Amino acid sequence: MNTIELSQVRKTFDQFVAVDNLSFTIGEGAVFGLLGPNGAGKTSTIRMMIGITAPDSGAINVFGKPFERKSLHNIGYLPEERGLYKKMKIVDQLVFLGELHGMNAAVARKKAIAWCERLEIAEKLQSKVEELSKGMQQKIQFIAALLHEPDFVIMDEPFYGLDPVNAGLLKDVLMELKKSGKTILFSTHRMDQVERLCDSICLINKGRPVLQGELKEVKSRYGKRNVQIQYEGSGDFLQNKALVASCDDYGNYVEVKLAAGADPQDLLRLAMERVRVNRFELMEPSMEDIFKEVVGKTDA
Amino acid sequence: MRNVWIIAKREYLERVRTKSFLIMTILIPALMIGVSVVPSLIAAKSSGGTKKVVLVTADPQTGAILREELLDLNKPRKEAAMPGGQRGPLTSTHYEVTVETDVSDASRRAFTEKVKEKQLDGVIWASDEALASRKFDYITRDVSSFIDTSMLERAISVGVRRQMLKGKGLTDADIQNALKPVDLAAMSPEGKDKPDPQKLFLTVLALVMVLYMTILLYGVNVMRAILEEKTSRVMEVMLSTATSQEMMTGKILGVSAVGLTQVGIWSVVAGVLPLVVASSAGILTGVLSAKLLIYFAVYFLLGFALYSTLCAAIGAMVNSEQEAQQLQIVVMMPLILSAIIMVNIVQYPSSPLAFWASLFPFTSPLIMLTRLALQPPRAWELAVSISLLVAAVCGCAWLCGRIYRVGILMYGKKPTLPEILKWIKYA
Repeated sequence: MNTIELSQVRKTFDQFVAVDNLSFTIGEGAVFGLLGPNGAGKTSTIRMMIGITAPDSGAINVFGKPFERKSLHNIGYLPEERGLYKKMKIVDQLVFLGELHGMNAAVARKKAIAWCERLEIAEKLQSKVEELSKGMQQKIQFIAALLHEPDFVIMDEPFYGLDPVNAGLLKDVLMELKKSGKTILFSTHRMDQVERLCDSICLINKGRPVLQGELKEVKSRYGKRNVQIQYEGSGDFLQNKALVASCDDYGNYVEVKLAAGADPQDLLRLAMERVRVNRFELMEPSMEDIFKEVVGKTDA
Repeated sequence: MRNVWIIAKREYLERVRTKSFLIMTILIPALMIGVSVVPSLIAAKSSGGTKKVVLVTADPQTGAILREELLDLNKPRKEAAMPGGQRGPLTSTHYEVTVETDVSDASRRAFTEKVKEKQLDGVIWASDEALASRKFDYITRDVSSFIDTSMLERAISVGVRRQMLKGKGLTDADIQNALKPVDLAAMSPEGKDKPDPQKLFLTVLALVMVLYMTILLYGVNVMRAILEEKTSRVMEVMLSTATSQEMMTGKILGVSAVGLTQVGIWSVVAGVLPLVVASSAGILTGVLSAKLLIYFAVYFLLGFALYSTLCAAIGAMVNSEQEAQQLQIVVMMPLILSAIIMVNIVQYPSSPLAFWASLFPFTSPLIMLTRLALQPPRAWELAVSISLLVAAVCGCAWLCGRIYRVGILMYGKKPTLPEILKWIKYA
């Protein structure tokens, strides 16, 4: 059973088309990345999935049946626009949100305490939200999305504004969820995170899907068109337009994007003639590269 | 329904636990008492003084009659049912009156000088010409004490009449009889057990003020509560499990419950505090029927629901307190208008204005209450008025729910009217 199925979904606000003809499915237990630049329609898509807004046309199935409000008790949502009641105690806040998700108050309280211990903020349980740092508030919000043990978790920019230690803490929790068979949807424009976590992706731009599929498959589709070279000598050979489309100089090494149809062996041969090569490596394109390439193309 | 309950409960508990709730609960009655008691205390203290007044008139007999009439002003209000239709003095000024008979210009200058130098408080110039033309000069430093002046004026005019009648040879008893005031008692066709109209007016005023204040105070609170949700961005999490309709209903119910709690506390305190009872219980007894109280409750709840729904919509439309304040006028206007109409209706309870304003939902809570106390409206009028109000509450809740639903997710600039109209149409 698929956790989420979108088919031909379209949403407009007046003249503005926020989401256009979007279809994708997220299988049970999958980690899915919904990618796209700012304003691409990610949040609009998520809002339709959880019934905050309704699509103009198209269909959305949640847990294998058309959307119904009951399903929301089994969905956890960490919105990009975060917020908590500033004057409310952490524990009360979590219990309140838990109750809204159909939990019993006592159970919600017990779980809230357990989660806070797990995320190392147990000493703040009786504090008010306004007394907490941004990172801590983020953790509370994170707990609020998971407290009711949903089978489907939606995380909109989950690591935004977190330091590496805390980001690692949350990542571990998410990976654990994945292992226990929960379905996770990441919405982000931070490609590096997606790369490490997602099984499959859908890249949208201006409301339209421009690239989707399993991460491995998508990457192989874009082939190994990048080369990392470490060398001693003059970099003049990189000016060869027949072989090099573009290159980024990082000081210690250069990253070269091969021109269309160029053979990497030709570039290696050329380099060996001109400079002393210490390392020559064919690389998978990063999601960032693919993102830039695809979005650049659709913009043109 | 469960969500509405959870949201209302949170709203209620969080608000009742705050310090500001406690402070307001104590401060408002303190202010009310202050407003009603302090001025009368001040008035009792300040105007209790004695005024030395000289009455200058050529004829000593006229002087004596006028003096007696002026001294009558010193008697307590109830005994001094003065001839000529007026009641006793409104102020507690005590007069000392001396009569002088020198009406020369020099004497007038001398007395004027004495007033200037505060040896005298006033000079009433009752020369023969003045008596003939009935135009007297009152030389005083307190030209602005119009109540005192008009009291003196009445006393003198009664005195002048008494003196004239005496000149015609009438006996004192005849004169007293001729000047005796009449009492016209207004009475409704329903019977003569109608309460004192003054008490009635004050009662209505008190009830309507409670309604008016509560709507203003807690309507604004509803608006703030919504705005808080918006500015703290807690909306999105909540929307992932509750509908906007549930959120709005919960918020309004929660804040309203806080308001009712506060009003409830005040009522209990008012029942216990003898100080407040002394001033209000006297007014309320005999005027407040059970029927009136039931209608008060109905109009109070419906009126409050209508206005707080409007406030919720405003809270959803705007992004900051400042913007909200600009739009608050939309809610204030019908209320202020009602208050203005009310004054007119007390005077003309069966006018067409009274009829229409008591049917129009945005004015009916205040106006129909006023009418109920003054002159019982026909049953069908009440039925139509309440039905229209219920319809308006439902319509408004629906409309505001639509605005709320879109508005809470819109951040950034303040929406224009056409934009809001579009929101209502969104699916």
